[in-house]
Amino acid sequence: MTRAPILGRFRHGYVAPAALLVAGLLYAPFVWTAYLSLTRYDGLAPPEWAGLANFAKLFDDPVLLTSAGNTLIWVAGTMVLPVGLGLLVAVLSYDLKGGAWYRVPFMLPYALSGAGLAMVWSPVLSHGGVANLLLGVDTAFLQEAPHNTIAMLLVWTWQQLGVNTLLFVVGLQSIPKAPIEAARIDGASGWRLFRYVIWPLMRPLTAVVVGLALVASLKTFDIVWVLTQGGPGRNSETLAVTMYKETFVASDYGYGSTVAVALTVVAGLASYLYLKRQVR
Amino acid sequence: MVRSRVATLGVAAILLAACGGNGAETAQKKTELTLYNDKGAWSKYFEEMGALSKQSIGLSMKPTGYTDSAQYQAFIKASFRTDVKPDLFTWQTGGMLQEIVKQKQVADTTAVWQEAIKAGDLSQDLAPYYTIDGKQYCVPMNVAYWGMFYNKKIFDKHGLKPPATWEDLVKVAETLKRNDVKAFYHTSVLFSFVWFEQIMAGMDPDLYDRLSTGKAKYTDPGVVAVMEKWKELIDAGYFINPGDKTDPGDVLKTGKAAMVSFGTWFNTSMTQRDMKAGADYGFFVIPNVNASLPKTSMIFESGPLCSLAKAPDPDASTKYLKWWTTAEAQKKWSGIRGDVSANPKVTIEDEALGQVTKDAGSGEYRLVNRYFEATPPPILTAALDGFSKFVTEPGTYMEVLETIQKEADEYWSTHR
Repeated sequence: MTRAPILGRFRHGYVAPAALLVAGLLYAPFVWTAYLSLTRYDGLAPPEWAGLANFAKLFDDPVLLTSAGNTLIWVAGTMVLPVGLGLLVAVLSYDLKGGAWYRVPFMLPYALSGAGLAMVWSPVLSHGGVANLLLGVDTAFLQEAPHNTIAMLLVWTWQQLGVNTLLFVVGLQSIPKAPIEAARIDGASGWRLFRYVIWPLMRPLTAVVVGLALVASLKTFDIVWVLTQGGPGRNSETLAVTMYKETFVASDYGYGSTVAVALTVVAGLASYLYLKRQVR
Repeated sequence: MVRSRVATLGVAAILLAACGGNGAETAQKKTELTLYNDKGAWSKYFEEMGALSKQSIGLSMKPTGYTDSAQYQAFIKASFRTDVKPDLFTWQTGGMLQEIVKQKQVADTTAVWQEAIKAGDLSQDLAPYYTIDGKQYCVPMNVAYWGMFYNKKIFDKHGLKPPATWEDLVKVAETLKRNDVKAFYHTSVLFSFVWFEQIMAGMDPDLYDRLSTGKAKYTDPGVVAVMEKWKELIDAGYFINPGDKTDPGDVLKTGKAAMVSFGTWFNTSMTQRDMKAGADYGFFVIPNVNASLPKTSMIFESGPLCSLAKAPDPDASTKYLKWWTTAEAQKKWSGIRGDVSANPKVTIEDEALGQVTKDAGSGEYRLVNRYFEATPPPILTAALDGFSKFVTEPGTYMEVLETIQKEADEYWSTHR
């Protein structure tokens, strides 16, 4: 009872360090980026006010159209491959004796960072690389669009499949056994059991896995940057790579910030709409 | 209660102290300088230079190397606005140097240049690359002449000699092709501009200069002819696949391509791979496409070593830059890398490179500033992407030129 007033008086002081960190490291850079998106800024001379000129350029930039298209391939591909296959591996291995051992190989690549992953696959996919030798073909997997994006998506799947499988297995383990048993007694099995009993029960976890994969695929950067740098030309760029190139390679910090704001809005909106639909 | 208040005040005091920094900052007197650079692979050589400078002038130097040039440039630009400032840093001449000099960030080195020219340590011919509005900035970290490195064993095997004319060069490529050897290296990453600048310098160096200054357009017939000539070579099957990510040093060593066009600094790659000049590889000046030009065009580049106007210890940085130009420093610098030197007093051990340096110094060649430095940064970015597209899809050359010109129009409309 005697401690409450003290805590009350100083309660803001206790959260201040954390609040300052969040404000300084998260909110301030975002506000600064939003401001830069309305300027012409080369990183050297002070920013000049440009109004909505950068946003107008967004809609008139053929490169951005390519980036948006590639990002869409990444999003759709991520849902089908790392997420879809992850679910498949989880369901197929869940009930098996020693199923965990089947899942171990899928988990191992997850230890690699995105950049490390790309470094490992670069000599495999580049022209004259291991893939060419093994398949006996003369294809430059990383050159023509959209093959290069698809090739990188397969590499991404190689890495991400395991973690999605693990999350789905956790989901399978956490669903109550009673409804499943009841459904089995009623004669449900196989696809019908999965579709009408297991899948609806896993919905909260699926929402999280898909939500995370959605955001991760929208901000795809490291694997593309290391493997193709968005090229040849700019044909494998994603929105995140365009943001980086415009900002740090072309030193157009204003336009780069505009792409960053647009990407944030798209990621935020997609997550909001998806999660809103899931938690209805 | 009292304890709680004391604790809160204590936390506040620590926070204030942490945020306040050291109020007693004074000008530092340094004995060790940090050299930031985008040449991560050269760290070993920079370290050797640091050890030598410690002995000679009592100032040691420690390199911090980046391998991603975009990341490096962003760091250097950010340092202009923060207290984390490099003592020394590498940069690029041309538009990139102009940009940072315009912002008054770079230390004036006019006195260093005057003294070095007087002592014969720097050539007056080099000064224009470092002169902006009548003053010099930075000193040459390196200079390089561009030509063709070739695998001597492959040449010997097929009875080939370094070509004296463009037609000879094409004949060499044709002979190699007939023997299932790819003649030339090219790439879709970063150095995608090499063949563009080489063919253009050898066809019409005046057009090259006009293009660099916005007085010609990328869509002009002369530039289109360059792309067509380049396409002709690609279509003939003389190049390796531009998507091959093998290091060009290994490309030449393994014979994946018989010839690689780079600056004399590529000699360092040969040294690193234990290849011997004259026995394993050779170097020749690439002949002009247009034989009627009075002089052979040779691509030239010089990379600067700079210090900031607000360097932590400006005197120490200037002292270091001055030492860097001396024959003692340059002999070591060119010797360990097997490259040419900006100091005319330094003798080049490699016979072919020594001859090129001598000939270039006596005015035998028309030196053409490398495309990377000659082209303003925003146009360069568009061009590198464009040439990268072209080498993988040669049929798109007009589209590529139009895209670059669009960027050039935008740039020159505000930079005349």
